[in-house]
Amino acid sequence: MEIQTETILRTENLKAFYVLDMHGTQKIVKAVNEVDLAIKENEIYGIAGESGCGKTTLLKALFNVIEPPLRLIGGKIYYRVNWEEVEVTSLSPEEKRRLRLEYISYIPQGSMSVLNPVLKIKESYQDFIASHVPEQSRKETMELAQKQIVELGLPKNILNAYPHQLSGGMRQRVTIALSALLSPRIMIGDEPTTALDVVVQRGVIQMLKEIQRKLQNTIILVTHDMGVHANVAHRIGIMYAGKIVEEGTTIQIFDNPLHPYTQFLINSLPKFGDKMMRESVPGSPPSLADLPRGCPFHPRCPYTKDICRESMPGFSYPDEKHRVACWLIGEGEHGKAS
Amino acid sequence: MAFVKRYLIPRLIQYFLVIWLGITVVFLIPRLTPNDPIMRVIGELRGRGSTLEPGAMDGIIRDLTQLYGLEGSWLDQYWAFWGRLFRGDLGVSFFQFPARVNQLIAVAMPWTLGLLLTTTAISWIVGNIIGGLAGYYSRKSWSRILDAIAMVVRPLPYYIFAFALLLLFAYVVRWFPITGGASLGAVPTFTWAYIKDVLWHSFLPALSLCVLGGAVTFQTMKLIVQNVNAENFVQYAKMGGVTEDRIVGKYVIRNAVLPQITGLALSIGQIFSGALITEIVYGYPGLGMLLYRAIVNGDYNLIMGITLFSIIAITTAILIVDLTYPLFDPRVRYK
Repeated sequence: MEIQTETILRTENLKAFYVLDMHGTQKIVKAVNEVDLAIKENEIYGIAGESGCGKTTLLKALFNVIEPPLRLIGGKIYYRVNWEEVEVTSLSPEEKRRLRLEYISYIPQGSMSVLNPVLKIKESYQDFIASHVPEQSRKETMELAQKQIVELGLPKNILNAYPHQLSGGMRQRVTIALSALLSPRIMIGDEPTTALDVVVQRGVIQMLKEIQRKLQNTIILVTHDMGVHANVAHRIGIMYAGKIVEEGTTIQIFDNPLHPYTQFLINSLPKFGDKMMRESVPGSPPSLADLPRGCPFHPRCPYTKDICRESMPGFSYPDEKHRVACWLIGEGEHGKAS
Repeated sequence: MAFVKRYLIPRLIQYFLVIWLGITVVFLIPRLTPNDPIMRVIGELRGRGSTLEPGAMDGIIRDLTQLYGLEGSWLDQYWAFWGRLFRGDLGVSFFQFPARVNQLIAVAMPWTLGLLLTTTAISWIVGNIIGGLAGYYSRKSWSRILDAIAMVVRPLPYYIFAFALLLLFAYVVRWFPITGGASLGAVPTFTWAYIKDVLWHSFLPALSLCVLGGAVTFQTMKLIVQNVNAENFVQYAKMGGVTEDRIVGKYVIRNAVLPQITGLALSIGQIFSGALITEIVYGYPGLGMLLYRAIVNGDYNLIMGITLFSIIAITTAILIVDLTYPLFDPRVRYK
């Protein structure tokens, strides 16, 4: 699997907090805290972590939809559009709108009813197309959509159906097809396989892989299902309490997990022939509104040292492409901490 | 066709059953009240100082009973009533004897329909449009201001609001007439002068109904739109960069208006019983006043006549909504 090294999406010290005003007292939820990411062209990048660790918020930020109560506190997000790096948070609303679906598209969670219930699938398609494609080529795009639907193994007459007439898996695949319609350079999936049964999950994953192979684009996939990551991702970032704590190629993460949290995640997966009790991470993730001092994982970590309670470690690079933020591995480079 | 057999026919049977039941109840209720229309007339005669011999009194009672159609047991009256009803005859009014109920209703109906159809339509359309926009742009300051105004206006008791308008615009500043549906002695003709006169008289009642009705529609629509706005399909359309005009029109308003259609049909059905308080405050010659006086005077036939229209109008409005709903919402299918 050859991966080009051209970076397509990059964040610098990204901080996105929910600022909630609760009866006069301000509550700050640090959902994305000092995240540096460099996602490459033609790769599937997985983001893993427990519920409530800020995965979905990170996706929102990467997708450049930061709406109150979510606020961009600091940092920058760059897309590489036509060989030129663009800082996207400062774009106008209309420029942001144009980028969506054309350049970066969003695949929602499988259980969500994301298609307008009173419109036929075709009409939804027409709305999305008409919002991005100039009038003279709309018909062409619609024909393309029809062809694409057949290619992706969906029944042809699906376009004439209403959303409630389709099964959950079918709806999810239509949504993915729609996200891929305008050949976006980046596709962002927020738990696209969650709430689907395993057979349908497999279909959805294969469909994603197929689209990626055809478009040679980037897919950023958020799921808490490590099995899905093992199947599709080229690189994985492990997220904990709003921070990336470890990042590496899929092989590095699964064969040589270094952060104790990653180790727990990997060890909780079932393996063939292994009858050992599966161990899960003790305790529960911290509240993002009230993070512990130091490394946020230290209250749950079996190897806690004094320094863990004091300050957050920077990244160490035990291997090429492999970085981890843990005092057990090394002091890391301060100032560049995630 | 399966639709006719399995849905339409049972639905129509239900429709007629409801009408029959409603009419029967309205037939019974006045007869259960202690208000005896004949004794009332006698009382009035006595009140005027006329003295009657006992024999003459019996004669009058017998004559009135016959004229009013109150002979025999309730069952006999009931049969006679249905017989007359199928001939389109609602009988005589007891109170305004010998005027016929048909006539009285025919005089009052145009006033009520003219006023209430217009105000219902205006408050529904305007309330929904403004409420829809205010719900979609609920973070904007103008939306908050409108919301605050509606919050103040809506809980006002209607009679106080109507009376305040009357006091202000017909008594303090005399821009509008204080009572009536048209100037005294004005002859109903299709001339501009007469139409202007009617519009001038109906302005305040219409305004009071539009403002309060509009405020209710505004608030419900705003809430519904805010809910629809948070739905996944709206969020997804935004994520897909669908243009805002499409999202507002085809995604938000289109879905939010569905429950409002039901509400409109119900309020149109209710028009036929008139708007009693409006008519009392503004001295407006509509069905509400007529019904009120009929109830007070135990005028069985007139009560029956007015409620008959009301029952038929409401059940028909609901029937129409039920039958046309699939046109608005594809998820509703009749099997």
